Amino acid sequence: MVDALLHPLNIFIIGLGGAFLIPLLYRLGRAAIAAGVVLALAAMTLLSGVALWRLSHGAAPIEILTGGARPPLAINLRLGLPEAIFAFGVNLFALLGVPYILREKYGTILLYLLIVMGIQGMVMTRDLFNLFVFLEIVSIATYGLLSLRDTPAALSATFKYLTATVLASSFFLLGTMLIYAVTGLLNIDDLIASRASIAGPIGFAGLIFVLACLLLELKPFPANGWGLDVYETARSDVAAMISGGVSAGVFFALLKLLPLFESQLTLIATLGAITFVCSNLIGLRQTRTQRLLGYSSIGQMALLTLAASLLHGPGAERMTLLVIGGLFVNHLFAKVGLFWLAGHVGEARLRDWPALAGRPGAIAVFGILIAAISGLPPFPGFFAKWQLVMTLASDGRLAWIAVILVGSLLEAAYMFRWFGRSVHGTAEAQTSAKGPVGLLPIWGMAILLVAGGCISGSLAGLASPWIVAPLAAGAALCLLWNLPARIQGIIALAIVLVGGLWLVRDLSGLNRLFAVILLAGGLVVSIGCLYRADPRPGFYPLLAVMLLSLPALPRTTTNLEFFFVWELITLSSYFLILLRREARPYALRYLLFSLVAAFFLLAGFAMMQALTGISSLAAFRAAGPDAAPVFILLAIGFLIKAGAVGVHVWLPGAYAEADDDVSALLSAVISKAAIFGLLVGTYVAIRSELGLDLARLLGWIGMLTTLVAAMLAVRQDDIKRMLAYSSMSQLGYIVAAIALMSHLGWVTALYLVANHLMVKGILFLAAAVIILRTGTRMLSGLGGLARPMPLTFAAAAIAIVAMSGLPPLAGFGGKWLLLSAMIEKGWYGPALMTLLATFVGLIYMARFMQTIFFGARGAATATAGEAPIAILVSQYLLIAGILIMSFFPILLIEPVSKAIDPQFASTLVWQGMSLELIYATWNPVPTMTFAVAVSILLLGLFLLMQRSGHVGMGARGTSFYEFSGSIFAALTPPLAIRFWGDVSAATASAAERARKLYTGNGQTYNLYVLYYVLVLYAFGGGVRLIWTGIP
Amino acid sequence: MTSTVVLSTGLVVMLIGLWGVLAHRNILRIIISLSLIGTGTHILIVAIGYVRNGTAPIIDRALTVAEAPARAVDPVPSALVVTAIVIGLAVTAILLAYAIRLYESKKTLSIDAFRDSKW
Amino acid sequence: MMQRLPSAIAVLLLALIFATIAIGHAEQTVLRPLAESYVRLVPHELGAPNVITGILLTYRAFDTLGEVAVLFMVAAGVGLVLKEPGKAGARSASDSEAAQPASEIVRTAAQILVPLIAIFAAYIIMNGHISAGGGFQGGAVIASAVLLMLLADPSHKLNSVFLSVTESLAGVLFVLVGIAGLIFAGGFLDNRVLPLGQFGAFFSAGAIPLLSVLLGVKVGCELSVILDRFRA
Repeated sequence: MVDALLHPLNIFIIGLGGAFLIPLLYRLGRAAIAAGVVLALAAMTLLSGVALWRLSHGAAPIEILTGGARPPLAINLRLGLPEAIFAFGVNLFALLGVPYILREKYGTILLYLLIVMGIQGMVMTRDLFNLFVFLEIVSIATYGLLSLRDTPAALSATFKYLTATVLASSFFLLGTMLIYAVTGLLNIDDLIASRASIAGPIGFAGLIFVLACLLLELKPFPANGWGLDVYETARSDVAAMISGGVSAGVFFALLKLLPLFESQLTLIATLGAITFVCSNLIGLRQTRTQRLLGYSSIGQMALLTLAASLLHGPGAERMTLLVIGGLFVNHLFAKVGLFWLAGHVGEARLRDWPALAGRPGAIAVFGILIAAISGLPPFPGFFAKWQLVMTLASDGRLAWIAVILVGSLLEAAYMFRWFGRSVHGTAEAQTSAKGPVGLLPIWGMAILLVAGGCISGSLAGLASPWIVAPLAAGAALCLLWNLPARIQGIIALAIVLVGGLWLVRDLSGLNRLFAVILLAGGLVVSIGCLYRADPRPGFYPLLAVMLLSLPALPRTTTNLEFFFVWELITLSSYFLILLRREARPYALRYLLFSLVAAFFLLAGFAMMQALTGISSLAAFRAAGPDAAPVFILLAIGFLIKAGAVGVHVWLPGAYAEADDDVSALLSAVISKAAIFGLLVGTYVAIRSELGLDLARLLGWIGMLTTLVAAMLAVRQDDIKRMLAYSSMSQLGYIVAAIALMSHLGWVTALYLVANHLMVKGILFLAAAVIILRTGTRMLSGLGGLARPMPLTFAAAAIAIVAMSGLPPLAGFGGKWLLLSAMIEKGWYGPALMTLLATFVGLIYMARFMQTIFFGARGAATATAGEAPIAILVSQYLLIAGILIMSFFPILLIEPVSKAIDPQFASTLVWQGMSLELIYATWNPVPTMTFAVAVSILLLGLFLLMQRSGHVGMGARGTSFYEFSGSIFAALTPPLAIRFWGDVSAATASAAERARKLYTGNGQTYNLYVLYYVLVLYAFGGGVRLIWTGIP
Repeated sequence: MTSTVVLSTGLVVMLIGLWGVLAHRNILRIIISLSLIGTGTHILIVAIGYVRNGTAPIIDRALTVAEAPARAVDPVPSALVVTAIVIGLAVTAILLAYAIRLYESKKTLSIDAFRDSKW
Repeated sequence: MMQRLPSAIAVLLLALIFATIAIGHAEQTVLRPLAESYVRLVPHELGAPNVITGILLTYRAFDTLGEVAVLFMVAAGVGLVLKEPGKAGARSASDSEAAQPASEIVRTAAQILVPLIAIFAAYIIMNGHISAGGGFQGGAVIASAVLLMLLADPSHKLNSVFLSVTESLAGVLFVLVGIAGLIFAGGFLDNRVLPLGQFGAFFSAGAIPLLSVLLGVKVGCELSVILDRFRA
């Protein structure tokens, strides 16, 4: 009895019966209709949910028979696992979306119920003609629902939509009947079984017409102007229904008929790829909200089509389920949520979206939806894309991977640009959005996305609970949003401390070392964040996510875990940068370059897994000599993130324009994630023959970065930009050190990592103080701050000395090690560049100290006082670290050396030269003591002279810096900026040209539709058929 | 032979409809053309179901149960065409309803006037 | 205008494809296996002499139900599309035109024909399982009577409440008969919930005549509603 009640046939009985009842309920009043439709949708959701539960626990697919006979006599339907996912997803979203239509006329409600039923019919039916009937039910319901918006534009759009879809479904009917003509069958299973008999001109034409209809209903480029117009002009909840629901039904129909189109799979995939790339490309130029979402919807359906046709084949059922299910659920919930949000905000143009500013709840849900649609973790789309790329790589289909990644990047570009523009409002931005209650269904979508992400994550093999610890911490902190900022901050730091220690607890070797450095560095620098007491919505949750993700990165053991955590770091740091209004364009650039980097990593991981067949990161150690391409891909990815010259254009803006404390974190801590990645990735190089040449190249890139960035730093007038370039320069040293591929090189790298972390933390925090106290960040407006802020001055001085490589502090040890390692390997060129870069570095560092702290007090510095206590605490903790490292280098170098040993034990690169041997030539303690004494003396003298006004360095010094700056300017033409500017301009103009196809003329669109059918026929095998048919 | 003539007729009617959809600017003519495509398809469906020298698959004095399998035409297309016709009618009704609204919104029935959204 | 040539090319190319279909078509000489089993099974298992009706109302009744839903949706959809009260300006002009009384001939003819048409419709509906006919056809005939009535008297107000309630009831009953099949016979929409009776008799073929009637009523109402909506 219970089974009979839970049988999925009841979905159709409830849908149809319920719809027929609605006019009767109407006689009873509105409340009756509302209760009826909610009950019906809830029941359908329950039925499909129960079925999904049972099927996912191994139950056999449920056959739904009608007419009291078995197929092929009677129509049958089937509810298997894929069907259940689609049906349950559509039901859930329909149930959540019901508030949007409850106030409408009963006709609308009835159409809503029937469209939901119809979509499930399309999903479940196993009869070709019945599929046509359900397609028409869905179409006609859509036509009716589209009338909810009746502006002239909406009416025109609907008419275009009508003619195009009527044409498409005519082709479906024609195709179905032609197939019947040659086979005498309508049952899909029978048709698939006798696929071979669908041949000859009639059978072939039938197949192509059916295929054409399904593809057309998914709105392929360029025959999709009618679809875009409707997405743009329809009421947002109706557009959501078309994008999420109708497309789902059509796509599933295509999926189940795919075995019939086995000869056309490549064609389908190609058309999908064209649509995916082109619609996302054109999306870049879009200025209207719903049309943008339309382009994205079309792109997502094309991606699904592409994935389905590429994965199709025997034995691919599970993978198809993971990829298609994940992509579909992701698209459904995210896109529907975005459409609803568009309706909620009510702004037709993207430029009016700053109306969202000042509403953290709305922004948060917007961010979740945008991240999900862009395929970022922790949402289902991320895992689905991962699986897809892994599978394609194992089949050697690399070009397809490139297409998928390019399309995804374009989509992320316009989605995040939209998001970035929306979060910061202008003061006069008028909000036309409704109250927070309207956000509830949208939050429902966000929660479903998270739940879907959890499920697909565990299916993809992401089982360990610690991996979501950063997100859990962030979510927990979100609940404290109304506490004062500092209390939130202290709680956040406490959580990070506890969580971080837990993450680090059982690590060992290099991983432990990195985890500890990142955790400790992150925590100490973050103490500085407490200097701000103003409410910063979202800051501490994001901070916690990021700070916990950093030590989680070394903990990862599989490539998926690594990539997941990597993307978490990217995403959380992007949001942190975006918190400052002025950082908006730079945040986008940061994100896009990070995504490109991530895609290179993804490709590298995929190739690695394809080569070795293992998903564990240990595969890197086992890689053979054929892994050189993997190394190249990984190295490019990590170099982009490390800001190597040429791909550094994201770095200065992001570091300089982020909030001051965020800049400190970015430069000091987050940049080290890339270094860790490079260390992980270079295992590959060690093993491959080609690797050592590549490593040499890497070394040159590192040193070139160092030199160029140092020159650029000299030219900056903005303190933060100078420090940003300085970071880039220092990272170059580290890259070069890693590239040495020797024990000594790696020890140096880690030594430099620790050193740079502390130094840049101090300096960026000092910059924060200066900006806080003086209100300016231009060197030209500053001067003489040593007296009003002596503690800051002392901290900065120590940091500069430590960075510059002057004795006695740690930087000297670092440079010494680096030079030794380079000489040891015979890298004389890079060694020379090291010296040169050190010299250029000295210029900007001297300028930094001199202009800010000495000389006459600048205009802005009159009222400056000492730094806030939080920043000082942070700085002096870092200084303690520097001093320890300087005077007891062995404390760091010993564990580093031990940690590195296993990596090199099996290679001949490191021939047992012990560190004592190197350090034996230089006993640091006496030298340093002496050097410190000299330095203090010199400094004292300098200050004395300055006070007595004997040093005219102000004027002379400035002209010197100007002089050197102009030389360096000539040496560093903005090639990279110009190049990337050209790339983005070319992309934009391609998009502009492509979208001219959409003339707005419905008849032209019909012509496109017809030509699409013809192209499909010709390339699907029709040319050959006609050609061979003539004789 | 008979059925080939009917089938060809159906195909030609469809082509006429397609040409009408692409060439006529008047919305009502476009709707009529779409209907023509539908009608052409219906004719084709009937042609597909024809069996040489067959008769309607209705058992009566002219067709006994025993001889039906040998003499009846294929009942399936006939059954399907009923559904197809009803759906065609439904779509035409909706199209006409929109045509009325379009005329109200711009006082013209020329498709050239309805190019509101582009790019 | 600029589009003429590409349109012509497209249609010509499609004509080429259609030509391959026409050339490739070979007339059937024997029934396809599935069709043959229908011709054998419908009279035997369902007890309906009209094989097509048997298919429509039992084996493929799920399609038919969908089709009913389509008409139902169109009735609702056309109502939604043409709703606007605010469009008085546009609509009133056509109203005044339409409101002109029909000529004497039309009115008289309608008075004579409408009852005849109604009887004919009832015949078609009731005999659908025995001879050519059925619910759809009959329903369409009913609607033609309504159309004639409206032509004869454009100001005639149809009782829309009656129509929509009847329509709904017929739909609900159709689904209920289907459910009865699920409970008392072989499955959803199985016609053998009622006795098959004597082959070829008026009361025979199980639930098929009942479904025919429901279908006829429902289609008649729906088409009338659609006509009425267009008139508004």
